[in-house]
Amino acid sequence: MSFPQRKAAIVGVYNTKQARMLEGTPWTLALEAIQGALDDAGLKHSDIDGLSSMMYDASLTAQQMWVEQLGGRPMTYTSHGIAGALVTKAAAAIAAGLTNVVCIYFGNAGMRAGPSKQRASQEAAPVVRKAPRVPDWDFNIHGAYMSAWYALWTRRYMDQFNAPYENLAEYPVLARYHATLNPASIMGERGEITVQDVIDSPMISSPLHRLDCSLDNDGGYAILVASAEVAKNCRKAPVWVLGGGEGIYTDFYMSFTNDWINDNGQSVRRASDIAFAGAGVTRDDIDVTGMYDCFPVTMARNIEEMGFCKVGEGHEFIKEGHLKLGGKLPTNTDGGLLSHSHCGNPSGMHVVEVVKQLRGECDARQVKDAKIGAVLSQGYAVHGVAGVSILAKD
Amino acid sequence: MTQQPYDKPLPQRLPENEEFFAGLEAGEFRVPKCNNCGYWHWIPYPACRNCLSTDQTWTATSGKGKIFSYTVVHRGPGGFRDDVPYVLAMVEFPEGPRNPIVLGTVVDVDPDAVHTGMPVKVVYEEIPDENVTIWHFAPDN
Repeated sequence: MSFPQRKAAIVGVYNTKQARMLEGTPWTLALEAIQGALDDAGLKHSDIDGLSSMMYDASLTAQQMWVEQLGGRPMTYTSHGIAGALVTKAAAAIAAGLTNVVCIYFGNAGMRAGPSKQRASQEAAPVVRKAPRVPDWDFNIHGAYMSAWYALWTRRYMDQFNAPYENLAEYPVLARYHATLNPASIMGERGEITVQDVIDSPMISSPLHRLDCSLDNDGGYAILVASAEVAKNCRKAPVWVLGGGEGIYTDFYMSFTNDWINDNGQSVRRASDIAFAGAGVTRDDIDVTGMYDCFPVTMARNIEEMGFCKVGEGHEFIKEGHLKLGGKLPTNTDGGLLSHSHCGNPSGMHVVEVVKQLRGECDARQVKDAKIGAVLSQGYAVHGVAGVSILAKD
Repeated sequence: MTQQPYDKPLPQRLPENEEFFAGLEAGEFRVPKCNNCGYWHWIPYPACRNCLSTDQTWTATSGKGKIFSYTVVHRGPGGFRDDVPYVLAMVEFPEGPRNPIVLGTVVDVDPDAVHTGMPVKVVYEEIPDENVTIWHFAPDN
């Protein structure tokens, strides 16, 4: 099985400003991002005939409203999910003749994802001091929330593989270093940090400290995937989709089993194997990557499951600095979710950064001679939802 | 412990899970056991996740297990904010072959003493003025 290579390319990308409490609404930020990506590509809104939403609850109605917003012509392709998979599936749909220009879009304003979300909603209604009823097996019955859940993963990983916390804490240090080279990042202006800074930051849910945790901010982005025919007339050089894959499972509490970390792998492994096979490239061919990095353990497991190192060795791979600019697998050169931005559903920004790298637009953080990149979008824990795209310039 | 009205999230107690919640009130932690292949399951699904049989029976577990992983929460959401630090654990039950792993807080314990592999047992908390009993874990000495 080989992927229809170089039949589709990413022709436009755009990140809005990423910050806490931006003006506007999810809609206006997504709109600004779409306009920016169209301008980047030299295309018009009327060129878009496929829509892929990054909204969490992408109802058919919401998609239909965006169809109207973008000019009110029938779209011939829609999809929903995480960015790496959406890029891949857009390329496959384009190769199959279903669509010509697919717009992947997201915007978020005023949403908080962390524990402050529940706190804020309770404080907004202080009179109702009553237990809210939730689905029967919901983890928040037990005081869990996202950071606490990843703390459980982190502890398990550390215990199973004798992984020192300090090795994992090298990741936030590396991400911050990259952010200092990215003027658009939220945390870059605060300067570099050390492992000791991570350890000294407030404990959130052991072993995770504040500096291990993602940002929680507003922002939007958009990505345009177009046919080769369209791409050749676009403003920027095409970034071709060589291959990709998707893997949907979840080891969120609703489907957890004791078989968490094993040599067979789960979604990320499956999506990666399909992607590399379809693209006809090897792990060694990859010059730059963008990988979903909500917590350090996520990154350790990413590189293991993607096949860049063995299971249980991801923490050493991080410690050895391979993910850093100048290393053998420069990753998340924008600063990632810990130091660039986590705007709610941020997986598209890993695509945006890899595209910019392959175009040579990254200035101080540019990976020299980057020709082939890999993106891993991810969610719902380290074996959960996975989308991989392998991208290349001419 | 709960002087003020309990304001943390509680399960809805859906009819299809009635046997489970009745079990908690009776001091039993029941999970669906497949009558076809013998697997024990947590969390409950309408069909066996091994063989897809819908012939499952809510069956009392030993209520004992070992800590699979844990965290000490220092920043708690909503109604948990004043409970910090509290211990949250995933507990692996001995009922195989696909051993249930159950999430819960660990009570009556020094957070610094908690470790992976630690034996614990289910303990039950009846919530005043609510129609539901919930579970926690406590050290099984």
